[in-house]
Amino acid sequence: MSKGIWIGIVSLALVIVLVFGVFLSAGEITSGHYGLLMLALIVAAIMLGFPTAFTLMGLGMIFGFIAYQMSNPGEPWRDNQIFALIVQRTFGVVNNDVLISVPLFIFMGYIIERANLIDKLFRSIQLAMKNTPAALAVATIITCAIFATATGIVGATVTLMGLLALPAMLRAGYDVKLSAGSITAGGCLGILIPPSVMLILYGATAGVSVPKLYAGAFFPGLLLTVLYIIYVMARAIINPSLAPKLSSEDLKVPWSEILVMLGKSFLPLALLIAFVLGSIIAAWATATEAAAIGAAGGIILALAYRQLTWERFKEAVFLTARASAMVCWLLIGSGVFSAAFALLGGQGLIENWVKSMDITPTQFMLLSQTIIFLLGWPLEWTEIIVIFMPIFLPLITHFQIDPLFFGIMVALNLQTAFLSPPVAMAAFYLKGVAPPHVTLNQIFAGMMPFMVIQVFAMFLLYMWPDIALWLPARQYK
Amino acid sequence: MQRYLLLIDRISTWVGKTFAWAILVLTLVVTYDVVMRKLGSPTVWAFDVAWMLYGALFLMAGAYTLSRNGHVRGDVLYGFFPPRLQAGLDLVLYFLFFIPGILALAYAGIGYAETSWGLKETSYNSPDIIIYPVKALIPIAGALVFLQGIDEIVRCVMCLLTGAWPARAHDVEEVDIEELKEMIGVKESGAAK
Repeated sequence: MSKGIWIGIVSLALVIVLVFGVFLSAGEITSGHYGLLMLALIVAAIMLGFPTAFTLMGLGMIFGFIAYQMSNPGEPWRDNQIFALIVQRTFGVVNNDVLISVPLFIFMGYIIERANLIDKLFRSIQLAMKNTPAALAVATIITCAIFATATGIVGATVTLMGLLALPAMLRAGYDVKLSAGSITAGGCLGILIPPSVMLILYGATAGVSVPKLYAGAFFPGLLLTVLYIIYVMARAIINPSLAPKLSSEDLKVPWSEILVMLGKSFLPLALLIAFVLGSIIAAWATATEAAAIGAAGGIILALAYRQLTWERFKEAVFLTARASAMVCWLLIGSGVFSAAFALLGGQGLIENWVKSMDITPTQFMLLSQTIIFLLGWPLEWTEIIVIFMPIFLPLITHFQIDPLFFGIMVALNLQTAFLSPPVAMAAFYLKGVAPPHVTLNQIFAGMMPFMVIQVFAMFLLYMWPDIALWLPARQYK
Repeated sequence: MQRYLLLIDRISTWVGKTFAWAILVLTLVVTYDVVMRKLGSPTVWAFDVAWMLYGALFLMAGAYTLSRNGHVRGDVLYGFFPPRLQAGLDLVLYFLFFIPGILALAYAGIGYAETSWGLKETSYNSPDIIIYPVKALIPIAGALVFLQGIDEIVRCVMCLLTGAWPARAHDVEEVDIEELKEMIGVKESGAAK
């Protein structure tokens, strides 16, 4: 094993020892302290690599059981309240009218992914962009944005673009870092741009309406895409050798032909997304209804392109079941965990502590976003949303921060986590299909400027919250 | 031993893949409901049928997902561990976290389902629709996941003994590079047609 791993293990052990040390040194141990111990252990426990859903469920069960038994001595263990809480939280995930849309959006994503639209999409957008600087990189970002928005699957988007766009850009003489950065940054846009599953999970845990979140994330998502495009174009204008012009053969393709190509590949998918998103934002349909129509539309689209074989269809169904089970069992786990946390009174302790710190809402915002950014390094976004949002939310209310605005900031923030080395999954997906001479370090280096752009976008959003809040304020008139 | 492992895997897979089709029914039910509502004759049953289909889908796919190592895990460190260390850690944590949690769920689920079944509980929204069968799925799903967990524990032991993870049943993957290459028609690595 390499040195890095040992450093990781040792620091993990240190954290656990430290937590127990602080815990045992506290003069008076209330059940709330057990809650904090549980919270401190969870990050370390997740890092041990055990499936998170069961780590949460187990820790919640054990701590909840002990806490209840301690405060109600003499009661038979069968009557322990934690059992009722576990099953109630499970049923709460089942009987949840917001979360029904999760498997439907996932299904829509897998169907569209398997409909094999991406190469035609990329080709037509690339030709349409032929006169702009850095045509291929711009086309890559736009293709990624559309495809990732429709599918929401980062891994598949980056892999497919790594197979299609990377060789195309390298052959055209593009800079390796610029090419890799465009693909990885573009591929992650689907997490933010609605309809995204992340925002549904946030809505379900924070009790914010999903249509409002979708309306709120629309312009920030667009802003980020436009900033990416401006960046690659600026790089190409300043130093044209980074992104040479398309071949003369491509430049000669007449516009009539390009328009037909766009009509065949770009238009149907764009219309489907616009319909799904538009009907949610305009409150014509609920997120669940729009997701079902999107999935049905995706099937029709895939059939129309004659790409939907029985085999691929079955694969989409099975992948949907696994991805949905992953998300929903994680929600069960976090439900049990937060129920135990509340039972122990840990929440009250944290709230009192933060309130006693006497900080301004701005400081709280910065602090919480920094914590979320740091958590994005060891944890996946699903874990951050379902475990930590329930803890942050009462504090958000205390500081009178709009949970809708906070949610959009979190979504933008977690975008950066996708691009932060050395854990950024997007880089590894790209490395998996890149030619051997493209190194992981080059990919990381290529992602850095895009990360800076994301932080800049967060700054813009914080300075001008109307970027996010303008559209939701105009809903339901 | 290997035979029993495969049997548990097969049960989990069969149940999971069967309930996976609920997504297709769910898509059709919700779409039908939207169309009927826009035509002015909304259904009374679609809302309840939809959440029950969704619940059945993810509950019964839990064991199948576990059998394919599909539950999200923090693999920042874990991914770099040698197999024996991975298996040892997993083994301890299966006993420490998994078994107490999932047994509690199955145990609590039985009482919960029994009560509902005894009342012949119907939906709050439309009294014609029974919901006790879905509640009964909670202990069943818990038991299936527990069974698959036993299978995983045996896998850990086998890995500790041999130093390599026993192979899992082949299944469709989200990012299968070879398959994606074939799909978009890339012949050799790094060269589009």
